[in-house]
Amino acid sequence: MRRDLGFIILLFTIIIIAIGLVCLYSASYQNVRVSHKVFYDQLVLSIAGVFLLIYLSQLDYRRFYDLAYFFYGGSVLLLILVLIGGRHALGAQRWFTVAGISFQPSELAKLTLILGLGRYFSDRRSALSVRPRDHFGVLWHDLFIPLCLTLVPMVLIFKQPDLGTALLFFGIFIFMLFASGLRYRYVLGFLFLCLSVLPFGWNIIKPYQKDRLLVFLNPNIDPLGAGYTIIQSKIAVGSGRLWGKGWLAGTQNQLNFLPERHTDFIFSVIGEEWGLFGTLILLLCYAVIIHAGLKVAEQVKDRFGMQIAVGIIGIFSLQVLINIGMVLGMCPVVGLTLPLISYGRSSFLVSLIMIGILLNLSKRRTIF
Amino acid sequence: MRVKIIRIILFLGLLCVSLDLIYIQGIRGSFYFHQSVNNRIRVIPMEGIRGRILDCNGIVLADNRLSFNVAVIPQDIKENEKVFHYLSQVLNVKKKKLLQQYYQKKLAPFAPVVVAEDVDKRVAMILEENRFRFPGLYVQEHYRRSYNLKEIGAHILGHVGKINRIRMEKLKDYGYTPLSVVGYSGVEEYYDNYLKGQEGGQQIEVNNRGQQVRLLSIREPESGQDVQLTIDARIQQLAQESLTGRNGAIVIMDFDSGAILGMVSSPSYDPNIFVDNRLKKKISWAMTDSSSPLLNRVIQGQYPPGSIFKTIVTITGLAHKKISRHTSFNCPGYYALGRRKFRCAHVHGSQNLIQGIAHSCNVYFFNVGLLVGPDLLHKYARLLGLGQLTNVDLPAEEKGFVPSRRQRKIKNPQGWFKGDTLNYSIGQGEVLVTPLQITRLMTTIGRGGKEVQPFLIKKIGDQDIVQFSTIRIINVDPKIFDTLQEGLKEVVKDPYGTGRLLDMPDFEISGKTGTAQSIPGHEDHGWFAGYNLKGKRRISFCVFLEFGGSSYNAVVIARELLQRLRQENIL
Repeated sequence: MRRDLGFIILLFTIIIIAIGLVCLYSASYQNVRVSHKVFYDQLVLSIAGVFLLIYLSQLDYRRFYDLAYFFYGGSVLLLILVLIGGRHALGAQRWFTVAGISFQPSELAKLTLILGLGRYFSDRRSALSVRPRDHFGVLWHDLFIPLCLTLVPMVLIFKQPDLGTALLFFGIFIFMLFASGLRYRYVLGFLFLCLSVLPFGWNIIKPYQKDRLLVFLNPNIDPLGAGYTIIQSKIAVGSGRLWGKGWLAGTQNQLNFLPERHTDFIFSVIGEEWGLFGTLILLLCYAVIIHAGLKVAEQVKDRFGMQIAVGIIGIFSLQVLINIGMVLGMCPVVGLTLPLISYGRSSFLVSLIMIGILLNLSKRRTIF
Repeated sequence: MRVKIIRIILFLGLLCVSLDLIYIQGIRGSFYFHQSVNNRIRVIPMEGIRGRILDCNGIVLADNRLSFNVAVIPQDIKENEKVFHYLSQVLNVKKKKLLQQYYQKKLAPFAPVVVAEDVDKRVAMILEENRFRFPGLYVQEHYRRSYNLKEIGAHILGHVGKINRIRMEKLKDYGYTPLSVVGYSGVEEYYDNYLKGQEGGQQIEVNNRGQQVRLLSIREPESGQDVQLTIDARIQQLAQESLTGRNGAIVIMDFDSGAILGMVSSPSYDPNIFVDNRLKKKISWAMTDSSSPLLNRVIQGQYPPGSIFKTIVTITGLAHKKISRHTSFNCPGYYALGRRKFRCAHVHGSQNLIQGIAHSCNVYFFNVGLLVGPDLLHKYARLLGLGQLTNVDLPAEEKGFVPSRRQRKIKNPQGWFKGDTLNYSIGQGEVLVTPLQITRLMTTIGRGGKEVQPFLIKKIGDQDIVQFSTIRIINVDPKIFDTLQEGLKEVVKDPYGTGRLLDMPDFEISGKTGTAQSIPGHEDHGWFAGYNLKGKRRISFCVFLEFGGSSYNAVVIARELLQRLRQENIL
């Protein structure tokens, strides 16, 4: 039983990676816009990644606890550095190039934030039970300080600008806050507060982000501009119908109608070429991992492990939901990748590391 | 506990996504599938060559001429500026204008844009030689209508042009597209169905930028069918020449079948002005000139018939036994109705029917007209085809008009007077006819009451067109027509007959002259209509001169024309 949970996660991770490779092959098949290199890159990375997974699962995860704040601090530093001297691409400043390999610190920051928050929440555990009636103390220690921990990288990422990832950080925070056992009244009160300041957020986002949000409400405002992606991806997914057009035979994909089809919009390639059959199977795979991951969180015996398991599964499922929702036009286009499938070295590797930590947790849940 | 709640929330999210997928892919799948098909498939039309129009001897009246358009394919040109600079030099057109045209007409990267139509052959050669220097630039060969005989037969042929909105709405269901070329007026319009080629097309697959990825299928265009007419180009030409400088119309029709051999309306125009860019400026002249060159007077001109209407009066009188061929009336040069005098051309004295017709004595027919009354005149005029379409195979034919008391009552409360009957009897007043109706009337009389339907079509493609039900027997005693024929013969034979100029050896002409008062301030219209029974083929004919002075002029022209035709060995 114990080993099974880890095995299931590993198995389905590999299945999803395989599905992703098949789709990347198709997306880069014509070698127009998306070159063949993308596929081979991901292939090499996948093989290396599986070994990384196995390696990570062998480690003692208490080391992550020890190094959590160190990692957190390091990634914040990197985020500051990337704002100062990073590479510009696609209108944003998100990348470092080290020895010819570009690298995206914001992806790494997802992991370090989970570790940092996980350690903080698990350390606070004892304090919670001591003085339950001290409202201010609870708010300060259990809500405000973790919020600040989240906001520091979040603001830095928002500055890049990368609205999607920044909001994702907020999602991680909510999940982990919820899992920390803070009373419902505080959690709900905080959520309502956030909702009420949401309208003010409109003024701080960039014009192109406003466009995307407006286009999300009605893609036909600008069918050849900002709405183009949504319309075309929706056509692609829908035109797959029940069984899909077949591998390498998706016209939307092969004829280049889909922009960003190897990264953020790879789900439309799956939808077009494999149909409802393919998309539901993929969703099922994700569901299995999410289910198993939450089981790990339930069974793991220490708070730090539970917190990071929830954080990892939270970010993982949020990315899945938001990415697919974005392809289907259910949520605005915010530029989040589909974990384990989209091309993108940093995000792919970080996803693998997170799955690796999950595997590790599944093995050691009885450690005290 | 809290993890359970998180699980429920996440699984609800997954459920939502799955339901949306089922909706988009399962339920709305076909809709999106069609959208994806529309996304990638385009059709490039290819024109079919239009059929030619030939005369009865196979002379080509409307042909297709090879012409050259300069076109560019947007996806293939590298440097717009350079290409258009070069083009403006070769074509001698301003670059700005070319570019403006280019951006206006540009539809898709794969679709050629025509920047100059119908350029000179020399220019086409220069461009073709330099083609390798400018990829994407090429010379498009295509066929343009050309009317070889220019003014000759313009009204019969009509012309072609790009389809207009009204026509488009009517013809949408018959495979016409907004780029189709259709016939306007004449045979081009009437037989457009047969003449027009079947448009073909290439179905291509395009990528997101509209660039052609591959050819999916091709349907070769089909040429239209040639149409052969009963018109004889030589007759047409001679008839046209005989009307030079005059406004009027000539019809020459086969006496036995109703096949139209020549149909001239003067002034004529060159139909090439509608299809040749170099002659375009003349369109406005044709449209606005006061002599209305575009009007086909043979079927669209409506004029009072004058004395020719006396044939109808004769038939009416004889059919109702109001007169016989021996009935005589005295002509003192006028007919007094109350205080008003209705004049005759001469003082004819005592006239019987045959003399009355031969001398075209108004007084004689005033008397007959009063005997039969306007109602019967109306009935017989209609019976003999006046006021009705001849249904010749040309578009936009006019009916003419035959007045009646009932119609007058509706329009004018004053009612019908005897004076109106008198005018009616000599084809004045409100009666209006077209030259083609008169030609048919003469043919009917000459054939003893067997009416033919005039037609132009001889052959479509390889198929000979047989005219069915083209003969209608007029319900009048044939003996009446014999009497009338005798009178018509006397018009020519009688030394004082109004058509005596046509009394030529080797001809056996019968007919009737007509001089009809036109609008005040203008000369009278002149008519001669009749038939010739001696020669290679029997013909009926009609010469009409608009404001031509008198019937004498028409007779002169008829005489010259018939003699020319005989000289050319056509008759």
